[in-house]
Amino acid sequence: MGTRVSLSPELSVADRLHDEIAKLRAQVESLKGDVRLQTATLMTADSTRQILQSQTTGDRQSRASEAVKQRLLERFQEQSAHKQQCLYRACATITTFKVNDPDPNAVDGGNVLGLRFEIMSKAKFVRPYYVMLNRPYTNRRYVRIHRHTVPQCIPLAGLAAQHLPPPAARNDEDPPKKQDLSRFARALRRELVRYHNRAAVIGDMKKAAGLGAKKASDQESDTAIVDISAADAEANQISMQWRDGRSGRLIMNNDGEIVKMVVQGDNGQDRETVRQFLGGAVRVEEVTRRLESH
Amino acid sequence: MAPRLSLPTTARLPSSLRVNPSTASIIKVLSRLSRPSLLSLVLDWLDPNNQSLCPPLLRQPESDEEDEEDEFENDLYPPAHSLSELRELYADMQTRKGSRREVVDRILEGDWRRGLSLYQLAMADLQYLYDHPGTLKWACYKIQRLQTPGHEDDVEANRSYDKIDKTTMHVPRFHPSTFLQNLQAEVLPDVKAHYNFDRPKGLPLLLLRIFVLDSPYNTDLAVSAASGSTSSTARTVTSFDASRTIYVAFPDASPHIFVSKSQSAGPTTHAETRSLRALVVEGIPKALSRPRERYALKTVNLQTKNLDAMLSLRGPGRSNAAAGGWGVYAADKTADARTHSPLNPLLPTPPLSDDTAEENDEQVADLGNQETTTRKRTLDPEITEQEKRRKRARLVAEARFGDNAQIDDGKGVERVDVLIEDAFPIHAADLEGEIDGQEEAQQPRSRKTKGRRSGVDASLLEEAERDEDEDPEQQRRDQNQETDAPDENPPRVAGRQTREGDRDRDKWAWRPNVRLSLHGPHVFAGIRQLVEAGVIDGERMPGWMTGEEGVTMGAVRNGRIKGFRGSGL
Repeated sequence: MGTRVSLSPELSVADRLHDEIAKLRAQVESLKGDVRLQTATLMTADSTRQILQSQTTGDRQSRASEAVKQRLLERFQEQSAHKQQCLYRACATITTFKVNDPDPNAVDGGNVLGLRFEIMSKAKFVRPYYVMLNRPYTNRRYVRIHRHTVPQCIPLAGLAAQHLPPPAARNDEDPPKKQDLSRFARALRRELVRYHNRAAVIGDMKKAAGLGAKKASDQESDTAIVDISAADAEANQISMQWRDGRSGRLIMNNDGEIVKMVVQGDNGQDRETVRQFLGGAVRVEEVTRRLESH
Repeated sequence: MAPRLSLPTTARLPSSLRVNPSTASIIKVLSRLSRPSLLSLVLDWLDPNNQSLCPPLLRQPESDEEDEEDEFENDLYPPAHSLSELRELYADMQTRKGSRREVVDRILEGDWRRGLSLYQLAMADLQYLYDHPGTLKWACYKIQRLQTPGHEDDVEANRSYDKIDKTTMHVPRFHPSTFLQNLQAEVLPDVKAHYNFDRPKGLPLLLLRIFVLDSPYNTDLAVSAASGSTSSTARTVTSFDASRTIYVAFPDASPHIFVSKSQSAGPTTHAETRSLRALVVEGIPKALSRPRERYALKTVNLQTKNLDAMLSLRGPGRSNAAAGGWGVYAADKTADARTHSPLNPLLPTPPLSDDTAEENDEQVADLGNQETTTRKRTLDPEITEQEKRRKRARLVAEARFGDNAQIDDGKGVERVDVLIEDAFPIHAADLEGEIDGQEEAQQPRSRKTKGRRSGVDASLLEEAERDEDEDPEQQRRDQNQETDAPDENPPRVAGRQTREGDRDRDKWAWRPNVRLSLHGPHVFAGIRQLVEAGVIDGERMPGWMTGEEGVTMGAVRNGRIKGFRGSGL
């Protein structure tokens, strides 16, 4: 008995120590992150550059500090290059980079061109979408999509067929079509942005109808609509569920304009609800605004 | 129940249709479930919402008491008075220990002695599928839109309207109830099917279970043949066999479908099952199609028992066309979004930069054996060398596989088949040695490829015919490139270098028919482990061995899987 009693506090002591160690480790990690952040901030400051460069002109330094300075200068250049890249990424939203395909049998010596698409959603940059292109065709600058991270709901294959057609085969009578990489990139970005916007609009509508958070829906049990959700992969269709069993479907086009809306009640189509719900709105955002004001 | 008039119809089997509980296959379906899942299933059946589809036998509330008592007096499992009483009974059984047999008997001879509905059968079947996720083999098909003929004359003039519309900007959409309605219209009238939709927990897909009976009726007659006459018993047993069940999975937001391949080696003939499956596979694109919007299914050479693996390769996420080492671009966690945000001022640390490598070392040291670290410190040159090599191998594996192909990620494919069509490397025998070292089924035969003597062009044409995805340009390029840039990339696989020598020899090269078949619980994780262990040279390993092509069957030409499979287009 005595040993058992003494064991359990010991165990708890060990546990506590473990917890403490874990906590300290986490703290160290966050402090390290802070240091990195501060370094990065310092490194990009203009005054740092001035100091570094002024020191290079002075000649009283020892060799050791010279080396340190050199390293700092390198780091500074790296950091400012990164800063510039970030600026381009944030503002131009489509950027390119080079990748080397690790496959030893890769076409074109493993040269791969990467396109990076920055998309903003909910006031945040989401993880960029990437499209990697390689050149598997003979002696031509024709590119082909090698790998990509674009979700299936974006018609990437269609875009590629339109803007990046493969070079014509020998037996093909059609004149070879030209590839237009920049148009492809622009069209793809447009699709991505529209997709995210549609998804966001549906989210907004949910919020406007009082379905955003779970708490809200509990409090306002008098909301007429109980569910709003995207009904298809492309987020073109919104399905709605009313409390009294009516269900509706709103179809918008790619740009967010309302194409059609149908509400099915107990006795067939319920046109009155549609009229009330839309209120002459042309775009989905207007519906959201109407819902908010009610 | 009075026998009703049964007319042959094309309607589907209703979910509430009851099957005689003495049917052997019902007993089989129920008794292969474990006791806990069986009990949870029964409690699902007893849910008030399900009462129209799976009503248990209950005592009549307001009838002659004496008669009722007599009827059930000698009963082993007297029927309960109410639903809640029954629910309590089964909930009790959940807390109690006991055998599975007890529950099965209670169901079949007690509460559902009048028969289990097809819906209940479907639920039991699905429950088994969820309990044992590896029992079915899934084949993946891509839904592709066909060209719409522009004019009526086009349709009559030629059959070119069956071409796949590659420029379409439309993502196929799937609506369950419309789909079912159309699918039923495609099924022949002498076959009746029962359909059941379900959404498995934790998987972003919709599962459709199709259960087929050979009967023109959609009433009791379809299922009660066994009890009626002894002569038809055998037939009914086969018709209830599991091989008559087909599962179709529709992943969310992905223009693919997964169709199950029947595994059971029951009394049904293979041909029958296959034709049934073919019927369904043929019917699906028609059911998805609408006027002026037609679709076709195209196989994508991906078969696995693991739905998770399937979803990561053909699912709604970003990893579809970025498998293997490219997975570093597809990671979609919030932390990743933050690190890769353009607003992040920190210098990026690519996965293989020095920083992370050091961290990995620390982790290894942390992992316990300080002995190794101290031994490393003792400066035994051999051990340091070994250590370095191991580290290098680990880094290479990281570079080739990224975060994918971990043994515990639950995304393992269990079989990969590859046909190698490359010419036999003459100068360097080590390529072959490399392959030899890891595969079990290698069958070099002296048979040569068909197009060998017909010259390059003819073989190219044949190649083009064989794989429509493959662009003939591709081959031409490879032929030319060898003369164009022989020393472009020195560390290539030996086979490549050989052929870079001269085109003539390539034309007449010996192309042995080599088929590789890799088996295991997680094939690509196994390859990764071999790379990490230094058995496979990770830098010279062809790309398809990392799984980045996203197929489980393929032909390899020039060290790559033919048809640009990895791009997912």
